[in-house]
Amino acid sequence: MATLAPPADATLEREAEAWMTDPYGHFGHHNTRIHSLPRAEVEAVQLVAINKRLDERRGQIKVLEKLADAQGITCVGTLDAIAPLLMPHDIYKSYPVSLLARNKFDQLTTWLSRLTRHDPTGVDVSQCVSIDSWLTKLRDETPLDVATSSGSTGTCSFFPKSKADYRVSVEGLRVQLAQEFGTDPRPGDIDDPIHAIVPLYRDGHASTGAFPKYIREVFCKGDDSKLHTAFNFKISSDLMWLAARLRAAAARGDASKVDVPLSLLARREEWEQAQREMPIRQMEFITRMVRELRGERVFAMGTSNMFYAVAKKGLEEGVTASFSPDSVLMGGGGAKGVPLPDDVEEVICRFFGFERMTSGYGMTEMNSHSVRCEHDHYHMLPWVTVFQLDLGSGQPLPRSGVQTGRAAFFDMTQDSTWGGLVTGDLVTIDWDNDCRCGRTSVALRKSISRVSDSQGGDDKISCAATPAAQAEALDFLTGL
Amino acid sequence: MTIRPISYAVLRGQVIESDLVEFGGRGGDVTFLAPDPAMIADRLPLASPRLMEDLYELTFEQILDYLGELGSRLDVRRNDYMHEARDHSYATAPTTKPIMDAFFEHIEPMFDRERIRRMVDFNIGVPYLEGWVEKPINGSKVAIRAYGARALHIVAGNGPVLGALTVLRGAVTRSDTIIKVPSNDPFTTGAIARTMVDMEPDHPITRHLAVAYWRGGDEALEAKLYQPHNIEKICAWGGFASVKHVTKYIQPGIELISLDPKRSASIVGGEGLATDELIEECANRIAVDVGANNQTACANCRMVYVMCGTDEAGVDKLKQLGRRTYEAMLRLPQALSTTPKRYDPDLKSQVDTLRLSEDFYTVIGGEKGEGAVIVSHTPDRVEFWEYLADRTVNLIPVDTLDEVLEVVDAYTQTVGIFPESLREVVRHKGALHGGQRFVALGYAFNGPGLVGPQDGIEPMRRLVKWIISEEPLPEKKPFWECGDEDIALVA
Repeated sequence: MATLAPPADATLEREAEAWMTDPYGHFGHHNTRIHSLPRAEVEAVQLVAINKRLDERRGQIKVLEKLADAQGITCVGTLDAIAPLLMPHDIYKSYPVSLLARNKFDQLTTWLSRLTRHDPTGVDVSQCVSIDSWLTKLRDETPLDVATSSGSTGTCSFFPKSKADYRVSVEGLRVQLAQEFGTDPRPGDIDDPIHAIVPLYRDGHASTGAFPKYIREVFCKGDDSKLHTAFNFKISSDLMWLAARLRAAAARGDASKVDVPLSLLARREEWEQAQREMPIRQMEFITRMVRELRGERVFAMGTSNMFYAVAKKGLEEGVTASFSPDSVLMGGGGAKGVPLPDDVEEVICRFFGFERMTSGYGMTEMNSHSVRCEHDHYHMLPWVTVFQLDLGSGQPLPRSGVQTGRAAFFDMTQDSTWGGLVTGDLVTIDWDNDCRCGRTSVALRKSISRVSDSQGGDDKISCAATPAAQAEALDFLTGL
Repeated sequence: MTIRPISYAVLRGQVIESDLVEFGGRGGDVTFLAPDPAMIADRLPLASPRLMEDLYELTFEQILDYLGELGSRLDVRRNDYMHEARDHSYATAPTTKPIMDAFFEHIEPMFDRERIRRMVDFNIGVPYLEGWVEKPINGSKVAIRAYGARALHIVAGNGPVLGALTVLRGAVTRSDTIIKVPSNDPFTTGAIARTMVDMEPDHPITRHLAVAYWRGGDEALEAKLYQPHNIEKICAWGGFASVKHVTKYIQPGIELISLDPKRSASIVGGEGLATDELIEECANRIAVDVGANNQTACANCRMVYVMCGTDEAGVDKLKQLGRRTYEAMLRLPQALSTTPKRYDPDLKSQVDTLRLSEDFYTVIGGEKGEGAVIVSHTPDRVEFWEYLADRTVNLIPVDTLDEVLEVVDAYTQTVGIFPESLREVVRHKGALHGGQRFVALGYAFNGPGLVGPQDGIEPMRRLVKWIISEEPLPEKKPFWECGDEDIALVA
């Protein structure tokens, strides 16, 4: 289904090149300008960028080549035509789990190499005996900083993000969070070192530990004393994987059947103790920050649930924070299963003394976080093309009217991977009306849910086991 | 305006079709009408277990007469209710028209009186239902009899035979039966019950059956109904999906018989692939267990562990088995298996993803939603193994039997075995790991029918109340004639 690319336009080409390589610099780190571009112009640049990326990456990323060959796509004439080449997020966990259980990191490296343009196969991983040692080695010797995450099935996914990807991602946070929309940035918004409060780990390969080193660069401008983390050590991806495997094994009725290396199983108590102590230590950490950083401009990033617990306890004890008013707090994590209390925003704001908190919508597989505006929309950055796919057919829904569908994205800023991703999230967009906040960028409604939660009608009963039934049973049992 | 089908409530000899409200429709499902549950709640339960006495005026033979007569009236060609139920069920059922037609075709033979007698005798023993079965033991004459109970059944809807089976089980055990029909089969059981009303509205078996639809979790109804003064047993298929609403009502006086959700896997020994003929036979066997009823049941095979070894030669052989299995699946008769009604898009996306991972997996078929065979190249099942459905099977190479047993767990129902030489060890070790039913590969749906244990329990034996009556034999010395030294309270 080869389609002719639109005729080359030198201006668009230059624009696309700039958006792909240095998006924030190109717009002078100006949040308002970034979110005020006319939609038609944005889409024209996106189309050019998609074709450029496809042309470049298909020779670099094996899996993309295979997919593009199978679909017979060499270039596209419309945004929607690229949909067949957007990759399901599951591809990043499509390795056999026994490779991990048996420490076959050479084979895992080969598998990973088919998903990125930064070839890691030259790295000698023969001495690696854990996920942590493997990923540290790759981080030391290649442009990659592979991101891990564990899903409900207990499989660890490996997303071959690069260090450049992380930098773009954190830069986007600073630009969008430090500046108020509708105004020009003040010099300090872009260049001043800002205190960063991250109630998580200082280092790690999972999202709970991966960001601080880049936050240190982008927010703290390299000043280590301005980076505040609750746990000043590296979160172990091996332990996180162990925990996920234990949960999955217990759900199947035999917690002794855990397919992880024995050396890792021996560290179970270490993990469980850390988990037990975590809420108390986070509470202590925030309390200390409130005391030590009084009057300072801070950027705080964590899960809304955690901030809520801290704020609630603080208010009960009569404590409130008094950071500088231009501080920002970003919560998150509400969309993925854990329900948030109704008064979450009110309690957090009252404790921290901010007029409003914000939250972001993003994922490991993208460089671009969407920040929620005061009208409860997550605004997409112009370098990310949004697709909504029909749940049944997988075909793109029209970019008009109000549509609800499976979210898929093409992120043209991706340095390491292809950039096209199909998610498990269900999103709603009003394509015809701009958001009342003034941003012209594509706006996702606040209510984002998992596609898997929306499937199946009421009350259908089957004798065949489904993971959902099991997960529900497990939630029920552990909730007792 | 389209006419929406009705899920009739049939309460103790009366067909209810008033106060209709709308149900279903979620996620693009068909909507249907059913009597407002609030209006019928009081008439669902039997007021007192005492009122079951009329069932004991019937002999077992008379019960068989009734069921035999009912069966002869359930022929879908001559019974308008069944005909209508079948036509409406095409839309609600998870399977396709040819498979549903075959299901309805075989409801009548389920009521064959000799078949029922064999089933009852095998599961409970007819004498226990007909009277007291006496046996001397430890100086006493002990008599045991199985009594019916007031039971509520939350049945699964992946096949329309499950409602019929529940009606049968209730009748032969002299139970009072309430059936909550599921939204994926809201019509069939009502059609059977309506036939019973036409046949003999005042017969005790007709009067001890209540069939209705309400949304699982309807608090107003369930809080009222699920009380020990209304029911003694709840038999729930589908495990948590159906019992999640029930558990809060479980208390002393209500017993839960839970037929948990299950899945099934098979084991093939290396010698099963020794010749070309054996590979072909093995492929046919796998295809049947995967494809039957389009893999909607718990007994359907979803993974096959093959002891062909994990070296290149072993994996090559497995790929060959995979291709033959795929071909055999496409050859299955329409009454047994067809292209699935709707191929789960999430599953399709997962299967398509593995096509890109050709180092580790070979995917055969699946491009047109017809079903697929996924051959693993390592001893790993696919990451989404719990989602395998719509005629999708994963063949996995292993070196030893122990690797297979590692994945047999409490959710494993049927284990298909080939060749038979593996049976002794597989069924013994498999049972310890959690497996519950061991069959010859290819016979998961071609066995004795639903007799004997199911999911590790015996539902029919648990549906009855086992009552004991004890009399002293003449040699038993009464306590009032004993001195301290003779008194022995031995449990």
